[in-house]
Amino acid sequence: MNKVFTDGLSFALPLLIMAIGALYSEKSGVTNLAVEGFQGVGAFFGALAATLLSPVMGNGNQLIIYIAIIAAALGGALFSCVHGLLCIRFRANQVISGVVINILSVALTAFFTSAANQAISGSASNKFVLDVSTRFSVPLLCGIPWIGGLFTNMYPFEIIIMVLVIVLWYLMNKTTFGMRLRACGENPQAVDAAGGNVTGIRWKAVMISGALSGIGGICFAYSLIGNFSPSIYQGFGYLAIAAMIFGNWKIGPTTLACLMFGLAKSGGLQLCIAAQLPSIYTDLFLMLPYVLTLLLLVFFSKKNHPPKAAGEPWDKSKR
Amino acid sequence: MRKKDLFLARRLTGRYASLWVSVLAILLMLVTASILLLLIGKDPLAAFRSFLQGCGMIPKAKYGGGSGQLTDLMDFLNYLAPMILASLAFITAFRAGLFNIGISGQMLLAGFTATVIVGYNKALSAAVAKPLVLLIGLAVGGLTGVLIGFLKYRFNIHEVVSTIMLNYIISYLTGFLINSNYVDMMTRNSKVCTPEARLTLTNVMIGGLKCKIPLSLVLAILIALLVSFLFRKTVLGFEIKAVGMNRRCSEYTGIRVSRTILLSMGFSGAIAGLAGVAYYMGYTNSIIPKALPGMGYDSISVALLGSGAPIGSIFAAVIVSLFQQGANYMSSSIGVAKEIASLITGILLLFAACGNYMKYLAERRIQQAADTMQPSPAPGEQEDKEVKAL
Amino acid sequence: MNDCIVELRHITKRFPGIIANDDVSIGIRKGEVYALLGENGAGKSTLMSILFGIYEPDQGEILVDGKPVTFHSSTDAAACGIGMVHQHFKLVEPFTIAENIVLGVEPKEKKLGVLPWVNMQKANRQISELSRAYGLEVNPTDRIMDVPVSVRQRVEILKMLYRGAEIMIFDEPTAVLTPQEIDFLLQIIDNLRRDGKTIILITHKIAEIMRIADRCAILRQGRLIGVREVAGASAQELADLMVGRQVQFTQEKTPPQYREPVLEVQHLTVKNEHKYDVVRDVSFTIRGGEIFAIAGVSGNGQGEIADAVAGLVKAASGKVLLNGKDMTGSPVRERTLAGMSYIPEDRLATGTIPDMTLQDNLALREYFRPPFARKGILNQDAFRSYAEKLIGTYDIRCAQGPDTVIRSMSGGNQQKAIVGREIEEQTNLIIFVQPTRGLDIGAIENIHRQILQERERGAAILLISLELDEIMSLADTIGVLYRGEMLKIEAADRLSTQEVGRYMMGVKEA
Repeated sequence: MNKVFTDGLSFALPLLIMAIGALYSEKSGVTNLAVEGFQGVGAFFGALAATLLSPVMGNGNQLIIYIAIIAAALGGALFSCVHGLLCIRFRANQVISGVVINILSVALTAFFTSAANQAISGSASNKFVLDVSTRFSVPLLCGIPWIGGLFTNMYPFEIIIMVLVIVLWYLMNKTTFGMRLRACGENPQAVDAAGGNVTGIRWKAVMISGALSGIGGICFAYSLIGNFSPSIYQGFGYLAIAAMIFGNWKIGPTTLACLMFGLAKSGGLQLCIAAQLPSIYTDLFLMLPYVLTLLLLVFFSKKNHPPKAAGEPWDKSKR
Repeated sequence: MRKKDLFLARRLTGRYASLWVSVLAILLMLVTASILLLLIGKDPLAAFRSFLQGCGMIPKAKYGGGSGQLTDLMDFLNYLAPMILASLAFITAFRAGLFNIGISGQMLLAGFTATVIVGYNKALSAAVAKPLVLLIGLAVGGLTGVLIGFLKYRFNIHEVVSTIMLNYIISYLTGFLINSNYVDMMTRNSKVCTPEARLTLTNVMIGGLKCKIPLSLVLAILIALLVSFLFRKTVLGFEIKAVGMNRRCSEYTGIRVSRTILLSMGFSGAIAGLAGVAYYMGYTNSIIPKALPGMGYDSISVALLGSGAPIGSIFAAVIVSLFQQGANYMSSSIGVAKEIASLITGILLLFAACGNYMKYLAERRIQQAADTMQPSPAPGEQEDKEVKAL
Repeated sequence: MNDCIVELRHITKRFPGIIANDDVSIGIRKGEVYALLGENGAGKSTLMSILFGIYEPDQGEILVDGKPVTFHSSTDAAACGIGMVHQHFKLVEPFTIAENIVLGVEPKEKKLGVLPWVNMQKANRQISELSRAYGLEVNPTDRIMDVPVSVRQRVEILKMLYRGAEIMIFDEPTAVLTPQEIDFLLQIIDNLRRDGKTIILITHKIAEIMRIADRCAILRQGRLIGVREVAGASAQELADLMVGRQVQFTQEKTPPQYREPVLEVQHLTVKNEHKYDVVRDVSFTIRGGEIFAIAGVSGNGQGEIADAVAGLVKAASGKVLLNGKDMTGSPVRERTLAGMSYIPEDRLATGTIPDMTLQDNLALREYFRPPFARKGILNQDAFRSYAEKLIGTYDIRCAQGPDTVIRSMSGGNQQKAIVGREIEEQTNLIIFVQPTRGLDIGAIENIHRQILQERERGAAILLISLELDEIMSLADTIGVLYRGEMLKIEAADRLSTQEVGRYMMGVKEA
């Protein structure tokens, strides 16, 4: 039972940081379906940094992981500028832009992983192998029955994400930046008339979403997959968007939604193991998060209130 | 300088604006790809030539026993057929304002169902099997499409999220079923389907060369003509376009929006189903468990490049298929990772998506040029004429 | 010129395809109420947007207190003491009143000396005090989405006052108010003037200018026509200057000749998505040859009544009868085929498909039946000839003929196309919702004339409008709607504007 909580949390947290990334972008008025692509490209940059630094800093050096996370954030932010360019500057259809970015990301990362591996080690492999990350347990709390699982065998990045979430919540709800960002998503005209810079705010929001998605991606690469390869694209970006929709574009409820997804995934897997079903059946249980998403969307989509101005390109001359 | 300056702008705002946007996107992509190739030390012209050779458009230096340029060309057409169908599927939904990103899943589900029901049935003759395969493709794809349309209309679920969820559900479900019941131990793929059920005739000898004949190509072109006819000449097509452009006004006009959304998603799914059987029982004859066909996503590139026009997408499909199908030969002869084909398609998609912006820039240029040539009328001068006339 | 607090010299501003302001020079004295009069599209809003820093002029300069200034944003303008209440409120719905007011100038602090933080308690306090000081009572913690239109306008005014504006621009402030609310607003403006503020009033309503303004500048087609002292001018003079020719203030209306009832609405109730009654037990009848107008402040349920009659919204209870037949559950198309036409409020959002051609839009009522379509196949020739006929009959100006895309046409011509499409068929019932919104006097006169023509033909007309003048001059019968209830139905000639205004505010006995 403990394992359900452990694995559930380690899946839920990267998902959450990606969902908050999408939330920042959408709250500012830019529809963001490109999270899937951002997390993949961010993970690419993180894994590339790890692969380059590994021989230099020594295999198994845990510091590399932190550098990889920073690299992933920067890479994700950089790549998100393409979405920003298409949506903010070129005023393209934001849904199309998101879909285009996702398709482009798969191609870009596949090609450059091969090319980089070719240059580094001579073999054109499409994977970057990552070191195993050490895990730790919080001393007293991991002893609590059931919930203790939340504090056992944690990845260090989980703490980083938890701190980030609190910072991001504060930023969105208590600072002027957050207030203006939320206003941009409802009525950008109001922000403009009040002297705010709508374009600047939206660019920042998109880049934040890129950085956060990148962090989510590299965390998945380290925890779930064990390497960087085309299997980084498992639709988790879309799960994150669904979590944001359930959370009605608010950080608190989104957190709950992500926790629920995480527990469903790990719970399903543990059930499969406990029932001692042959490994073929794992596929069925892997399906669970997606089915759950669809069902929840059925029951909750009617009531949701996306930011009013999301999806509409900002045009200064429109009154 | 003035005249030439406005040449491009005029093309982009005239009657064939969409065509010129596509041409511009292709040119930009060729330039970008060339730069990329140069950066990794390869000759762009040789690379492009090898793409064409791989597809049988221009002859290779050497051919293996029993195959020739015609073989390659027929292989190319074999890939082209499902590609055309997949992009038509996207277009049909797109015209109604819906993004059917789930074409891959619909293809897989249709292909799997047809394989299991018809492809493994040794008792059926070709005359019965092949039409049955098409029917199943239409039905399975169509039902999936209607489901997505229903979820959208009734529950307001954004179709991008619902179709992606379905994609993964379908891929895991079919993967599980294949691995548990239909797997071929040697290849790890599903068992192959019977030649009677296959939509492509294999090992046909033409002029001493071993070729495949893709029957589904005829189907693809037929469907393209049908879709084109639907949107240009029928009441239903008119209503689909109206709903796609302005849902609220369509309601005022009396169009039943729910029915229109369901029908267009249904058609889209049905055509995607045809693409699926054309792919899994035409282009190949077995299914890799849990793998979603990349063609489902490439079809979006094709549709956008063809500006959402059915006939235009045939030409766009040729371009994109050229890169995908020719990638293997290019990779082995030039030594570039074959992923570059997907990269090129992705870049092409990027430029095609900027099409609107290009048109907008062109309109601005023309307006600026007109303004500087003569002073524009003051606001209301148009209205002024009306006032006097009344 | 030396007692001018604001001067605009030789301002020119171009947008793609039009010159919005053409060499306009005006000077505004400190402490006066200065009106800018002009039709829709004359350039008044653009000129003031330049003063407020939203746009920058292509040519010309701005002087404040005699010193030249350049504004790159409205923050720059606000720093010089200029504030603006916009015609379309720039408010964030889910935010509170206080959050809306302080947006852009939030009271910032550093918690624990490090963390940046917006002190909303302080903001709430400041706004309470400010609102009391100026008689603009508001509750700072109310959300904008829960608050009526007149309160929203107060919030816009408080926005200016919070920033310490000395020069206050009001853009068409009375468009959405009842007569009593207009009185209240003009009193506020008077108070502000006595407090030493300078007020610039943008409007096309001459009556209000005569009541409150000191001077008036008239703009037409981007150019300044003249400046008049209001005390010595007449309303007719100002009107003629605004339009450029003699203006008729009232339409010729023939005495009514009523026929059989065409539309009967019985105990209609409509609920919104939160299960709240937006239309409550409304009943009325419209006879052939009668114009029935529904008056009311925006958001009191008028739109929902029109939608329910048209079939776009389901009625929770009650009946809608058209020509005696119960149409309550019928789909839209059945009603249009039974003899209903609908000219909706928003031309681009609901009245047309903006990206389709004029030809396709004109055929929207007919496209599914012969001669436009047979057995599901369209006949493009029929589309063409019908479009050409309507273009001729209704004088629709279109640059590329029937192939013109609606989006590229002017507002007046778009409205002509919609009206033409709907009335060509000569149905028994015509519903007009805000038919003259955003149009200039020539187009407005044209539409009014068409409405009266249809009335003479014997059609029953349901007119929903926010412009009380329009209702008073056209209606035979007036129904006043307040919070979904029809408070009064009465023949128009037995109601005065003031009485209607009182009902609009919810006063049950006039």
